[in-house]
Order: sequence, then structure tokens, then C-alpha cells
Amino acid sequence: MKTKWLFPHRFRLIGWLIFVPSAILGLAALYVDFKISWLTANWLSESITILSGNSVGHVTENQDLTDEVAAIGIIIGLLLIGFSCEKVEDEMIGQLRLEALQWSVYANYIILAIAILTVYDMAFFNVMIYNMFTVLLVFISRFRWLIYRNNHTVLAL
Amino acid sequence: MKNRLKVERAEHNLSQADLADRIGVSRQTINSIETGRYVPSTILALKLATVFGKAVEHIFTLEETD
Repeated sequence: MKTKWLFPHRFRLIGWLIFVPSAILGLAALYVDFKISWLTANWLSESITILSGNSVGHVTENQDLTDEVAAIGIIIGLLLIGFSCEKVEDEMIGQLRLEALQWSVYANYIILAIAILTVYDMAFFNVMIYNMFTVLLVFISRFRWLIYRNNHTVLAL
Repeated sequence: MKNRLKVERAEHNLSQADLADRIGVSRQTINSIETGRYVPSTILALKLATVFGKAVEHIFTLEETD
């Protein structure tokens, strides 16, 4: 029985190679306002008129794409890590993957519900930034744990 | 669901890894089926039965709780 919609096994490593630098870039962009100069998009620039006393000034702000690149990198990386075939991909692995996915969706929305009730204002915006990736992160962690536990049970017998 | 996989393997002198190779699954999957932690699909059950030259019902039997 073939599992559908999976990437080849080697894509998992490619996923890690995309995810790790993207995550570091994303955290740097979020917390220390790190920007890559050549990722500035002039075509997305907007002109802002500033009124100060009697004088009027125009400022052109270019859109920085560092965080956009980081977010897309994180998404592509996590999808490749989570949905690449195992070395031996069989139906039991497929079932473990689906169970992990279901578990992560439940866990994610329980955590989100708690955050909705306990976090407000701009802090909630931060929660939403992390929430964009937590389904995949929790899914990958849970899936790897299930596989580890499964292999460990076999060794213990 | 009960199964006689371990007995059949012993009769045919096959290791878990040999059997896994023959039907294209991992050794862990064979182990999980034998210990009742994983219930195989119809396709996998038929493949296992074919390896041992027996009917599926000879290898897998329903329990009252199924």
C-alpha cells in the first residue's frame, strides 16, 4: 500500500538545510531587527508625507523582505522535513504519520485557545507569528517521537 | 485480532528481517504485527499469507472484542 503525496527520502535533509538558517534568520529579524540589505524591494516602496510644524517632508520607505524570506524558508523546510518518505516507507509508518498529524492539530489548537484567553494586545501578535509554524513543528516532534518509541519497543523485546 | 505470524515464521525458518524484505516493509512493522500493536491492511495481510502459502484466515483470526 503506497502512501501518497510524499517527497523522496533525501528531501528530509534538504528540509533541515533550509529550515535551520531560515529559523535563525527569522528569529534575528524578529528580535534584533536584522535585515539583509539586498533583500530590500524598491518596487514595494511607499512614499510617506510627514507634517512637522509648518514644514512638509516626503520620506520613501523601501519594503524589507528579510522576514518574508525567512518565513517562506521555514514553511518549505518544515514541509520537506515532515513529509519526506522514511528509508523504508510502509503502511505502519503512514499510520504513525497520520496519528502524529492529528495529535499536533489537537495540541496546537488547545495551546492557541489557552493563548487567546491569556495573552492580549501586541504580545498576542507574537503568539500568532509562532502559531504559523507550530502545527508543523509539533507534528514533526510527535512523529519522530512515535518512530523512536516504536524502534525502542522492538529493541526491548 | 490474533495472529500466528511468529509460528508461521518459525515453521518457514524466516527471521523478522527476512519476512520484512519479502513483502517490502520494515522489520519494526513485522514486530508490531506479531505483538498485536499494529493491525495490517488487507493488502499486507494477503501478502503475508502468500509468503506462507496459507489462507489469510489461517494466519489472522478475529477476537471477540474486534
